[in-house]
Amino acid sequence: MRDFIKSTRFKVLLAFLAFLVGIMVYAVTKGGYSVSGASFINTITKPFRAASNGISMKMEHTVDKLKNADSYFEENEKLRKQIGELNAQLTEYDAIKAEVEELRKFVTIKQDHEDYQLSQPCKVLGYVTNDPFKSFTIDKGSEDGILTYCPVVTSEGLVGITVEVSKHVSTVRTILSPDLSVAAVASASNADQGIIEGNVLSSENGHTKLVHVPKKNKLKRGDLMITAGSSGIFPKDYPIGTIIETGFDSNGLSVCAEIQPCVDVARLTSVIVITDFSGKHQDEEEEEAEEEAEEDED
Amino acid sequence: MRIRTTREQNILRIKTSLRWIVYYLLIFLSFIIMTSGTLYKPILLVPLAIGIAVNNNIYGSAVTGAMCGFLIDISCGKLFGYNAVILAFFCIAANLVFELYLRDRFINFMIITAVVSYIQCRLDYKFYYQMWGYENVSRIFVRVSLRVWIYTVISAVFIYLVLKLVNRLLMPKEHLTIEEAFNTNIQPENRR
Repeated sequence: MRDFIKSTRFKVLLAFLAFLVGIMVYAVTKGGYSVSGASFINTITKPFRAASNGISMKMEHTVDKLKNADSYFEENEKLRKQIGELNAQLTEYDAIKAEVEELRKFVTIKQDHEDYQLSQPCKVLGYVTNDPFKSFTIDKGSEDGILTYCPVVTSEGLVGITVEVSKHVSTVRTILSPDLSVAAVASASNADQGIIEGNVLSSENGHTKLVHVPKKNKLKRGDLMITAGSSGIFPKDYPIGTIIETGFDSNGLSVCAEIQPCVDVARLTSVIVITDFSGKHQDEEEEEAEEEAEEDED
Repeated sequence: MRIRTTREQNILRIKTSLRWIVYYLLIFLSFIIMTSGTLYKPILLVPLAIGIAVNNNIYGSAVTGAMCGFLIDISCGKLFGYNAVILAFFCIAANLVFELYLRDRFINFMIITAVVSYIQCRLDYKFYYQMWGYENVSRIFVRVSLRVWIYTVISAVFIYLVLKLVNRLLMPKEHLTIEEAFNTNIQPENRR
């Protein structure tokens, strides 16, 4: 032992240890790993360590899986069941949320127009196959108080009119159809009147057309057209659509305009039918009154 | 004619019933497809009705044609019975043509389907759009009627294959004696 302590080997090893201690002290002052040597080693060994670590982790996982397979299986089953239940709850929640949002929109119609008698919200059963004017059927009929020629709306605007009504199903003709004419007036001026009538070309883009507008008008792009309510079929002041561009009718005698409906008619999920409103069938009542007056005179 | 055994008769009856059930399930499925979505779709019920008509008896063809026609009327929002009349007529005609003049070949089925489907689309365009004189009405023919017709003809290929499969599985085989095989005037027995 004494020989070893006196030997050069011992001195060299001691010096080496001192050197290491020196490095350690230096590292302490520099904050550990920031020493350039450590960084270098770390950089060099990083991929090997990562690979090695990966392998060992995999090994551990495999062993763990084998060891705890039963408990994992049970846990998995339990979680699957839980996820299933949560998904069902989520679906139910989404459906209720969508329904509530729809109903909330329809409530605003009633709040804004107290004279309206509204049907229950009607679900769109489906669009009429290959109809270029996007007619559709709804899940309410005469048993729900719906009659033919009742206006069909959403909270955004006018959609169309009921044309065929059976007990539980009704067909709706939309404002894209050339077979439906609605008297309309510009919301801004309340003076420029015209007829909203579908058109083959316009319906291709989901638009409709405003026709028979007098040449002297103040209509401009972006104006909102609302129902005039003069026919007694549609309620007054209900939004129809906005003007995209104006031009002249093919006869050149009047002005027409391309209308972007307030409602995307091709993507409806639910609508509401206005079964009654103040001023409904006003014309008919006036005619009847006139006839009665004439009879009295006779 | 050879007299069938009771067992053969039972098999014939069961297969015939099953075949018609499958036919009507296909009709129902086609109707559901036609009524869903907002895109333009083929009138699947036309090739289906023709396909059924060419392989079965004339009464079954007429009833199936009418049934498919009613369903087309419902899905396409047409006058109830309008397509039923057209399709019943064409199914009877197709049945007769195939019985008397044409063989049950794919190309014959496609030609008949294309013709019937075109007439159906053309009449639909004529009565529901052209007659009312809408502005630019010819665009409807080009953009809707012709497109639907092309889709229908394409869909007829798949319908032919499905019907071929159903018929192969459920159409009773003809049992001919040697004497019957020599007799060329025999009417097919499987058209029930």
